[in-house]
Amino acid sequence: MSFAMAFSKKEDESGLSSYYNNKTTIIQEARVFNESPISPRKCRALLTRIVYLLYVGETFNTQEATTLFFGTTKLFQHKDSALRQAVYLAIKELATTAEDVIMVTSSIMKDMQPNSEVIYRPNSIRALCRIIDPSMAQGVERFFKAAIVDRNPSISSASLVSAYHLFPHAKDVVKRWVNEAQEAVNAKSAGYFGGQVSSGSSFFGGGSSQSAAQTVPSSSNITQYHALGLLYLIRQQDRMAVTKMIQQLGGGKSGSGTTLKNAMALCMLIRYAAKVMEEDPNVQRQMAELLEGWLRHKSDMVNFEAARVLCEMKNVTNAQLIKSIAVLQLFLSSPKPVLKFAATRTLASLALSHPTSVAVCNIDLETLITDSNRSVATYAITTLLKTGNEASVDRLIKQISGFMSEISDEFKVIIVDAIRSLCLKFPAKHASMLTFLSGVLRDEGGYDFKRAVVEAMFDMIKFIGECKEQALSHLCEFIEDCEFTKLSVRILHLLGIEGPKASHPAKYIRFIYNRVVLENAPVRAAAVSSLAKFGVNTVDPTLNKSIGVLLNRCLDDVDDEVRDRAAMYLKVFKKQALVEPYIKEDSVLSLAALEAKLVSYVKDPSASTQAFDVSTIPKISRAQAALESARPSTLDTIGVPAKAAAVAAPPPPSAAETQSAYAEQIAAVPAFASYGAVLNSSAKPAQLTESETEYQVTCVKHIFKEHVVFQFNVSNTLPDTVLEQVTMAMQTEDVGLTQDFVLPIPSLSAVSSPGIVYVSFTRDEPEDYAIGSFQCTLQFVSKELDPSTGEPEAEGYEDEYQIEEVELSAGGDYIIPSYAAFGAEWDRLKGAPSVTETFGLGSSVESLKAACESIIEVLNMEPLGGTEVPTSSSVHTLQLSGLVTGGGGKVLVRCRMTYSQGVGVTLELGVRAEKQDVCQLVVNAVGG
Amino acid sequence: MASFFSNLFQWFASFFLSKTAEIAIVGLQASGKTSFVNVIGSGQVKRSFYPFDSSLQFQQWSEDVVPTVGFIFRKVRKGNVTLKIWDVAGQPKFRSMWERYCHGVDAIVFIIDSADPEKFNTARFELHQLLGQPALIGVPLLVLGNKNDLEGHVPVKDLIRDLQLDKISDRPVSCYSVCRPSRASLTMTLTLIFQCSMKSQHNLDIVLQWLAGRSH
Ligand SMILES: Nc1nc2c(ncn2[C@@H]2O[C@H](COP(=O)(O)OP(=O)(O)OP(=O)(O)O)[C@@H](O)[C@H]2O)c(=O)[nH]1
Ligand SMILES: [Mg+2]
Repeated sequence: MSFAMAFSKKEDESGLSSYYNNKTTIIQEARVFNESPISPRKCRALLTRIVYLLYVGETFNTQEATTLFFGTTKLFQHKDSALRQAVYLAIKELATTAEDVIMVTSSIMKDMQPNSEVIYRPNSIRALCRIIDPSMAQGVERFFKAAIVDRNPSISSASLVSAYHLFPHAKDVVKRWVNEAQEAVNAKSAGYFGGQVSSGSSFFGGGSSQSAAQTVPSSSNITQYHALGLLYLIRQQDRMAVTKMIQQLGGGKSGSGTTLKNAMALCMLIRYAAKVMEEDPNVQRQMAELLEGWLRHKSDMVNFEAARVLCEMKNVTNAQLIKSIAVLQLFLSSPKPVLKFAATRTLASLALSHPTSVAVCNIDLETLITDSNRSVATYAITTLLKTGNEASVDRLIKQISGFMSEISDEFKVIIVDAIRSLCLKFPAKHASMLTFLSGVLRDEGGYDFKRAVVEAMFDMIKFIGECKEQALSHLCEFIEDCEFTKLSVRILHLLGIEGPKASHPAKYIRFIYNRVVLENAPVRAAAVSSLAKFGVNTVDPTLNKSIGVLLNRCLDDVDDEVRDRAAMYLKVFKKQALVEPYIKEDSVLSLAALEAKLVSYVKDPSASTQAFDVSTIPKISRAQAALESARPSTLDTIGVPAKAAAVAAPPPPSAAETQSAYAEQIAAVPAFASYGAVLNSSAKPAQLTESETEYQVTCVKHIFKEHVVFQFNVSNTLPDTVLEQVTMAMQTEDVGLTQDFVLPIPSLSAVSSPGIVYVSFTRDEPEDYAIGSFQCTLQFVSKELDPSTGEPEAEGYEDEYQIEEVELSAGGDYIIPSYAAFGAEWDRLKGAPSVTETFGLGSSVESLKAACESIIEVLNMEPLGGTEVPTSSSVHTLQLSGLVTGGGGKVLVRCRMTYSQGVGVTLELGVRAEKQDVCQLVVNAVGG
Repeated sequence: MASFFSNLFQWFASFFLSKTAEIAIVGLQASGKTSFVNVIGSGQVKRSFYPFDSSLQFQQWSEDVVPTVGFIFRKVRKGNVTLKIWDVAGQPKFRSMWERYCHGVDAIVFIIDSADPEKFNTARFELHQLLGQPALIGVPLLVLGNKNDLEGHVPVKDLIRDLQLDKISDRPVSCYSVCRPSRASLTMTLTLIFQCSMKSQHNLDIVLQWLAGRSH
């Protein structure tokens, strides 16, 4: 890339750059590829420009990329090795967008051969993995096995890297290269080439391989790094094998026996060790011993990596940290900025959890405060903020203020976050911290930075009463000149909540109303809502009146939303009864559920004869809603085998979001088109197999008005067999369901897993809540795959596989959690259908806490007001709220419980619901 | 007797009267294109190019040519003549790409397995499809009926009829029947079974004249 850079620099000066490196010109100039004779110099220059353009983020569309790609294939006729290398670079880059890239397969393979020029070989091997059709991996197997153990490190590295990229597409083939990779990682080797470079003549003079002289063999042992990467990729699913590999390559307790000479390989090994420890606490001790050995390795990089991993170990104790911190402390006074940076960064995050351990470095950190590298200084200061005492806070804050303007937004955010946690640690220092925050709020900065500051202030308002009004004033000032709509809206919302409680609510009104006059529509709308909150919450009649006047003016706004809000609030003011649900309301509809139900309502033509029923949408509290807005997308957690799901660490999608994703899946099956909308789907798939079995099955149940559909997600984990005609046999006692049909999976291989088997039942009495358990047996024809062709053999054998029972139960299948204001709602349902029964829960339930947990699990209802955690060990009342699918309406449950030694938990179950049979459903679920 | 392949060289050489000629070789899969190139690439075959496997070092002709994926470029030098050869794959998914590699060549060589008449229809279709490309008008065509060592191969004059070569009027066309040398004869000079129909002889003359006229 370096010469490409040089180009752009030169052109910048001459002002030609934009022309010279312009996509259109380049495509026109691609003619040179077809010229005869070929000019290697011109072609190389053009290829460089193509690669450069892609490097700086330019994109080619499919057609452009294809044209360029085919142009480059014409260059295979030229032997110039520098040109050929450039061709490979371009091919690798274009391969992702161009069509028919498979065209160069044979040409590339020709260049890979032992009889081809040594300079071509590594380059072509690296290009191969980008263009090859995975089905051909088998065909190159023998080649790769030989190339991986080639004595030339460039060839060995290239084939390892290529294998690494091939792996996801041709797992089974690449897995078989594990012995070769092992040999490459162990190769005492590279001395063969490495040593020769200096002593020279015998190698270069040897004449037998003239072309070898063109490549300078590497002496870095980088091959070990590549080989290790491939080994890990092959073994990563098998924790035992990885652990064994780490021990083998780790070279014993002191680390001195390791065959790994390459520092990057060692760093990689350390990272694998970290992962293994993370997943299996049992190996923590032995891994930690290895890591401590590496703290004394001769390479900085390795020392640092080991120290970092030790610092990030789960539940690490202060004693375990001493050695690593000593290593990091040494780095703090190193002349190398990289080491200082790495060490301060690690210490800064360690200081969050172990401030006292890090405090030993305080003196060294102090000297770094003024480091010319501002990143190092930033980390030093934020670390000191966490480790220091209250007395040093003022001094450090002053120090930071000095260079805030010199650091990037990213680092500003780090500092602001440090201050934010400091506020909570030393609330007495809030004054200087608030001054700092309000100061930086006025600085230039992007959204992320401003958001960090605003959120820090929100925290102060929430947790430090003394500074509330001061902070609110700063925020008011900020929105007077805030370019970020999102932040203005959030601040206006907060003002609406906190402002009316302040000593002089009236002083905020001006700031808020200014927004109505000056800002864009979203901010104006937020301002209207904020004003309304003042109007409702104030006791001051004059303030109330002027709010009315202001809102009246908003009725002339050009924006619908702003006008609507103003009109609604004015109306609400007049009717006290509306205030609770519309302005003070603390729960909201679950948006994902609302969306899903609306979608199916719109799609179902027969539904439109009736109005959409909002009461079937579960509600969630505002706190929950805030949590849910920060979740990952849903679809990828549905129907995946348990293993993969477990790896995906981010928080699971909310129940409601899962529902809407299921609804889409179901809607895609024509057989269910006449069933109408799904009333409810299981919140999460039930595991019906152990996680390590050959076949894995999970089940999701979908309740329709007149049907129940069981969705079995089936995974075949055996790479060398295919299952055909996969169906599910379900047996049950009389539960009021009649099986309609099964939709089998015609063919299921490891690659096509998971597949879905659907089993549909009709509800004999649609009004009844059919409940019961089903015995399930997976049935299929098993066929081996011919390893050479990948085709299934003609003859298979029938087999079946018993899986766990599936339950259709009240909680989860018919009742779903929904938030409610329990007291008011319980009173409202006084005259409604109700049941009260008393149960002894038996000796197996050992505490009120255990009782709460099992009742919540069985009923799948929302516990309210923190009642899921008993405060007393002898008496407790658990309050639950839910919705019943299919128009069953709301249901509330009050569980009064007592506990006494010997007797266990006695439960008085009170149920109030909108329908009588719902009460019975609940009582049966608990009692039955 | 000189081998067919040396003859062929002279054939090209004499017509071009020049140092280089670029040709594209097309035809259905397994018709023997890569084998053909391998043979002319080494007057006597030392090692066949076996793209998938390096561990086999062929000291002599091997049956193990594997289907070409895409194309292979070969440069073959004989005396002062250089042939630049684009050997393009014949499987259906690659046929649309033939045209690309025929652009700008001095001659197109179409190889057909003369012992497999069932494929003639497809071959004819693909050949005429290719020749129908406006950019390729006038480019000379050499058709080789390959594998005539096999029992039941179709003679040249039937090939000409079945491929409707007589209908081609916008370019010089020649047609020969050939086969690759047998295993036994490898180390010896390559032999050639050279059948020429009147028709092809006639076409050959045209090729001769035409090529001679545009040598470079
Ligand atoms: N009997 C006989 N077999 C031949 C002759 N020429 C080629 N073959 C065989 O025909 C098969 C296909 O030959 P290839 O050269 O790979 O055919 P191709 O046209 O290059 O095929 P693609 O690359 O897929 O388009 C091989 O098994 C060759 O050994 C010949 O003259 N006689
Ligand atoms: Mg071929």
